[in-house]
Amino acid sequence: MLSKPRGRGRPSPHTDRDRGGGGDARTPRGGRGDETPSTSRGPGSAQETPGSSWSLSASAPAPGARTQKQLELKVAELVQFLLIKDQKKIPIKRTDILKHVIGDYRDIYPNLLKLAAERLQYVFGYELVELEPKSNSYILVNTLEPMEDDAEVRGDQGTPTTGLLMIVLGLIFMKGNTITETEVWDFLRRLGVYPTKKHLVFGDPKKLITEDFVRQRYLEYRRIPHTDPVDYELQWGPRTNLETSKMKVLKFVAKIHKQDPKDWPAQYCEALADEEKRARPAINAPASLLNSEMGSEGLGQGSGTQRHRAKE
Amino acid sequence: GVCPVVYMQGSTRRVGIMTDIHRRFLQLLMTHGVLEEWEVQRLQNHCFKVHDRNAAVEKLEDFINNINSILESLYIEIKKGITEDDGRPIYALVNLATTSVSKMATDFAENELDLFRKALELIIDSETGFASSTNILNLVDQLKGKKMRKKEAEHVLQKFVQSKWLIEKEGEFTLHGRAILEMEQFIRETYPDAVKMCNICHSLLIRGQSCETCGIRMHLPCVAKYFQSNSEPRCPHCNDYWPHEIPEVFDPEKEREAGVSKSTRKSLRSRQH
Repeated sequence: MLSKPRGRGRPSPHTDRDRGGGGDARTPRGGRGDETPSTSRGPGSAQETPGSSWSLSASAPAPGARTQKQLELKVAELVQFLLIKDQKKIPIKRTDILKHVIGDYRDIYPNLLKLAAERLQYVFGYELVELEPKSNSYILVNTLEPMEDDAEVRGDQGTPTTGLLMIVLGLIFMKGNTITETEVWDFLRRLGVYPTKKHLVFGDPKKLITEDFVRQRYLEYRRIPHTDPVDYELQWGPRTNLETSKMKVLKFVAKIHKQDPKDWPAQYCEALADEEKRARPAINAPASLLNSEMGSEGLGQGSGTQRHRAKE
Repeated sequence: GVCPVVYMQGSTRRVGIMTDIHRRFLQLLMTHGVLEEWEVQRLQNHCFKVHDRNAAVEKLEDFINNINSILESLYIEIKKGITEDDGRPIYALVNLATTSVSKMATDFAENELDLFRKALELIIDSETGFASSTNILNLVDQLKGKKMRKKEAEHVLQKFVQSKWLIEKEGEFTLHGRAILEMEQFIRETYPDAVKMCNICHSLLIRGQSCETCGIRMHLPCVAKYFQSNSEPRCPHCNDYWPHEIPEVFDPEKEREAGVSKSTRKSLRSRQH
């Protein structure tokens, strides 16, 4: 059905030799039976625009008549879709998953998602987590601890904007978990970061903070009513709580000031309490994934608490 | 976690085990579009150092084969190839099942992808494996999607060079080794009449040398290997004298000596971010 596994170490010989006119006339995609993957969204659907071509498997037969191979392919497509979408740091919506990958396999969507989540965890070390209960949007949370030296071997040099994000997150936490936009700029101005001026490293800081980080769900940005001139409040978004913690952010702030986290007793207590809450035994993310996708079926562990985040 | 071995029905290959070493390796590998062999080795060393300092670093080939045995059920693999210009080994994570340019599809707009397709077709049809900037830009009006001006198209072509899909040499463009690794199957299936093949390794050939008598073609590194220390190189097909300069076989040792200063420079650069 698919190309044979390649030989290791060099491009492997292919069975068809194209010299001397051995090749066919240009064959249309989708018509060559086993060999050519076509759209998996059912027979007769045309090749999609490049942006939505997740075509890996052959046309979907009627439910119940699917082979093990087709299911495998479908899960593979889903895993790739989730990995690539998460790279952009935008939560992946269930509607997009159904539209671009699942298609005719809708009836077994919860199973496919569960299998994809298992593969993501086992193979890549990513946990598929629902952003908020009933939000039907997902992110991947890294279960491996990032190392400082990772930066040297990365291909994308990490994200330089992470520094700015960490500063804003720190600011919000230290000020009692909410801060006004005015206060943010008052602080950042001292670091040479302005809302109206292009920044060498961060580009457009205003857009980053009030749009990009919000879209990526690291921040919440809400208008404060009855303010003139209009002001907004900034808080941690749902992704922040999943990817980091109050204690980690406090440690970051302490490091910048070359002090100890305990030098801020109020925040330290709050961070400790948060750590304790996280350490309490809870359903793993895949279970809560099932809770939302498959109704009340869980892994049968009995705890009623819906926890939507991964372990630290 | 538990490995769902139920997947491996029908596969006779023994499936390896994933550990955090392999997971970190994969995660970091995915941040690259393509890597040279020394970069992959360095990545492997790093992952061992993080998770199991005392363990001996497994032989790279075995390490990658182990990971690939697990990736098989996901229809992706870490594929190894060699560059067409100097034969250096390169690695990329590629799709085994797709025939479209779907990985590029997330990073580029419809008209940008179409520009790439046009450039690809010119490259494949050309005698040298290169398409001139002028010829590519002249096709800008035929692109699908949003209208693109030539100035914008120049910029998009540079994006392709930066993300290692194309190589530019003196105003002409050819495919980067990454593109060949990722798209060889797609190219061979989509353009079966136009593609050229190497007489030695029987893989897709974009750039190479050809026999002026019988027309067979060979990759530069394949020429280098085939005619190594042969004072009278002759065409393997028609036995006529081979008229071209025989390149050197890629020597990783020579690279390593130059590469020591290169890797130091690279890590200094990344620390500045």
